[in-house]
Amino acid sequence: MALSASLILGLELAPTWAGEQTKKEPNTEIRLAPGDDKTSYENTDYETNSLSLEYRTGKAAGLYEIATSPQLGLPLVSISTNNRVDRAKIQLGRKLFFDRRLSRNKTMSCAMCHIPEQGFSNNELQRAIGFEGRNLKRNAPTILNVAYYQGLFADARESNLEQQVWSPLLAPNEMNNPSIGYVIDTIVSSSDYSGLFENAFGTPVSMQNIGDALAQYQRSLISGNSRFDQWFYGKEESALNTQEIEGFNLFVGKAKCAACHQIGRDYALFTDNKLHNTGIGYENSMLKPSQYVSVQIAPGVVTQVARSRVDSVGIPPENDLGRYEISLDPKDRWKFRTSSLRNIALTAPYMHNGQFSELEEVIEFYNRGGVAHELLSPLITPLILSKDEVKALSAFLRSLTGNNVEMLVSDAFAVTIGDSD
Amino acid sequence: MNLFKTTGVNRGLMQIAIASLFFAASLTSHADETCMSPYMAKIVGQEDFVYVWTLGQENLGDEQDKLVTIDVNPASPKYGKVINSLSVGGRNEAHHSGFTDDRHYLWAGGLDSNKIFIFDVHTDPAKPTLYKTIDNFVKVSGGVVGPHTFYALAGKIMVTGLSNNADHGGRTAMVEYSNTGDYIATHWHPTDQDLRGAEKSGKFADGYGYDVRALPRRNAMFTSSFTGWTNYMMDFGTMLQDPEAMKRFGNTAIKWNLHTRKPEKIFDMPGAPLEIRCAWQPNHNYCFTTTALTSKIWLMYEDEQGEWQAKAVADIGDPSKVPLPVDISITSDDKGLWVQTFMDGKARYFDVSDPFNPKQTYEKEIGSQLNMISQSWDGKRAYFTSSLLNNWDKKGDQDQQFFKSYTWDGSKLNLEFEVDFKAEKLGSAHQMRFGAYGLYGMKRPYETKQAEVNSNASDTLLASKPE
Ligand code: HEC
Ligand code: HEC
Repeated sequence: MALSASLILGLELAPTWAGEQTKKEPNTEIRLAPGDDKTSYENTDYETNSLSLEYRTGKAAGLYEIATSPQLGLPLVSISTNNRVDRAKIQLGRKLFFDRRLSRNKTMSCAMCHIPEQGFSNNELQRAIGFEGRNLKRNAPTILNVAYYQGLFADARESNLEQQVWSPLLAPNEMNNPSIGYVIDTIVSSSDYSGLFENAFGTPVSMQNIGDALAQYQRSLISGNSRFDQWFYGKEESALNTQEIEGFNLFVGKAKCAACHQIGRDYALFTDNKLHNTGIGYENSMLKPSQYVSVQIAPGVVTQVARSRVDSVGIPPENDLGRYEISLDPKDRWKFRTSSLRNIALTAPYMHNGQFSELEEVIEFYNRGGVAHELLSPLITPLILSKDEVKALSAFLRSLTGNNVEMLVSDAFAVTIGDSD
Repeated sequence: MNLFKTTGVNRGLMQIAIASLFFAASLTSHADETCMSPYMAKIVGQEDFVYVWTLGQENLGDEQDKLVTIDVNPASPKYGKVINSLSVGGRNEAHHSGFTDDRHYLWAGGLDSNKIFIFDVHTDPAKPTLYKTIDNFVKVSGGVVGPHTFYALAGKIMVTGLSNNADHGGRTAMVEYSNTGDYIATHWHPTDQDLRGAEKSGKFADGYGYDVRALPRRNAMFTSSFTGWTNYMMDFGTMLQDPEAMKRFGNTAIKWNLHTRKPEKIFDMPGAPLEIRCAWQPNHNYCFTTTALTSKIWLMYEDEQGEWQAKAVADIGDPSKVPLPVDISITSDDKGLWVQTFMDGKARYFDVSDPFNPKQTYEKEIGSQLNMISQSWDGKRAYFTSSLLNNWDKKGDQDQQFFKSYTWDGSKLNLEFEVDFKAEKLGSAHQMRFGAYGLYGMKRPYETKQAEVNSNASDTLLASKPE
């Protein structure tokens, strides 16, 4: 017998690695970015700065207090349903939100697309990918402060969070549940839910209380008190620097952003909750594709791949006509709801289709006057902003990150992700 | 001496000799598919079956994943035919599979559903049955998603992951199981936050995973790195046009300590290094891998100081066109390396007698798309399949799905037969593993002429018995 054989066998009998999975200390510092950091990946001097998933742990936060206390720069949430704020309901919604079993093949939770450390959105791709890898036509938006939208989704087609949850739960390309009853049965047959609905609602699992619970969790993800709020509403002069203040002045002045991304006397939602045509949707529907596609194949390495080659392995992108798809009114073609800009630094890539990777690109888009065409909003015109003004605007947008986001992310990390057992 | 009593793998089933690396003298001259674990029982000579782990396609046949058995023994009356098809339920994103070291069971994974299907292939090698399904892989492993490679170690199976349940990105771990399906441990890939004692030899420590191979005589184990669930599940054309998604590929390979399962050295290997194939000859301390996006052959080798290094040693096709090298296979004499390029459907043979200077000497277009290869130990037979990933495969008419059997005469490939997986309503043909009666001391149920193959089937099992 070979020498190496006895050596290795001897070692195999005393496995030092068995039972190695040790619990790590909770993270004290939360990074508000993907744990798989690809910052400056386009450069040849890119270096990794990756986090370990074993350390992705956190501390539960007082979500009830967050949902019920005023935050600088934001009004208290008013709800039109009879789903009153309740601790047990928030906790139940929080558990459901991270439960991957709530999809047809047990692989998709709400949080797989609305990823906590990625601003409760997805920084890692332009448009979301759902059940069996199917394409969605839109970028996964943040659900921070989603409570303040009057119409939900980029086309404002849904009217409240209680109802909204059934869109992803049942969509064939999202969580792909075949029926409402299937979702209820999944929960009923998971022993870790035993008694939880009864305790929170006094009734067993139902279509109504699944929506209520998830809505309660999402409504507790309120995040104001940004440096901008401290400066503007809190009157703390040092909260913003001069560049950020210049950016604010442009935002409400020359750049005309606040015409749609509204800032009020007592609070700022950064949205008028209305639908506008910026030209981005028009461009996507009408423009002819380029003959070559720039494809990054490694850090700092880009190659041009022929369109025909890309098309041989791809399905054509789904068209997106915005609000028109809901109203069928041709005037509504390519209209999208104004996004709130709170926490915008955390939620790249931008716009309904994730077309822009950087805030500067979005500002340059507005600077060009959007994309001119018959239906372009009259509020969008060329701005003639200088390079420095673009930088100042972008600096201002980066001051809109709420001061409790780390806390909300840490709270999310504390949830046990639901997987089959 | 029965070294494997301790592993508890026989479970009262047929008493047959179990092969192992440790009888290295016989191993270097006889074994079967050259990509198998050195811990594995070996086939010598003619294989009887190829098991094809097949993806269900929507609107085709029963639409679900299945293990397809093809009779590949030219002496068999059913030669060239699909003789069994075992549907497992669901489209799990069937991908790779691997035998336990005793070759009694075939573990096959679903990259999407995270299910692991364990097939009994020894009771009747012509008709595998589903022995057990593991459906709590994510939960027991602590969040690993995408069970990929199933690599036999002594009495154990090392399962590589591709992703995780937190962000569906590429950070992941290897998960170790006993042959009987009991969870043993999770071995996370090193990240900057926790290098786990490894040396970051370049700029990258991305924590990604893909394949695993071992060189037990050097106490070494190697892993490569691909991408997370989001990318491997999404439409390939959509992904190529998504600059964010294209940043999420692995750029590392890792040398581990096989015994302690600790990562020791992280190599920079830009552009998604995939399959790893280690040399077989006892003095050849190196392994090859290829980077899918940057189209290079890489060599990981032990230098004269006993230090492990990695070096890009050749281009594959025209890298600027992204030919996408996928599966590779090394010949048993370590002189040749088959490299398949998915986009142009070509099998390419590289002369790697000088591992630092691979030279392509032959190529042949096998189909409109091409992924896997399995070759016999003597290199005379090579089998090819078409599918890469359900949403990466070509669309429409270009989505040919096949199993093709070739002979290789040293200078060209000759087609012997093919099975059209779409016409047969089977699905997308992915990974192949060999089966044989002789492995389990069984006789073939048909007469074979001595001229063709050895009739008592003992030609399939020679390498394993300790002298
Ligand atoms: C497959 C990815 C995916 C999953 C899973 C998913 N979402 Fe979303 N979510 C999206 C995308 C993409 C949009 C934008 C869709 C649109 O505008 O039409 C969205 C929009 C939303 C919105 C509206 C936000 C706004 O700005 O109006 C809410 C609220 C929301 N999701 C909550 C949930 C909840 C709750 C779940 C789980 C029950 C869930 N999502 C599951 C991708 C996903
Ligand atoms: C005519 C109304 C209007 C004006 C003026 C306007 N915006 Fe917008 N903004 C929108 C709409 C509508 C969207 C959503 C567009 C989409 O998703 O395609 C949006 C989206 C954005 C986004 C991306 C949000 C996200 O979550 O992806 C940013 C950033 C932004 N605007 C910044 C600005 C800035 C800075 C200005 C001033 C230079 C400005 N906007 C002016 C209506 C407006």
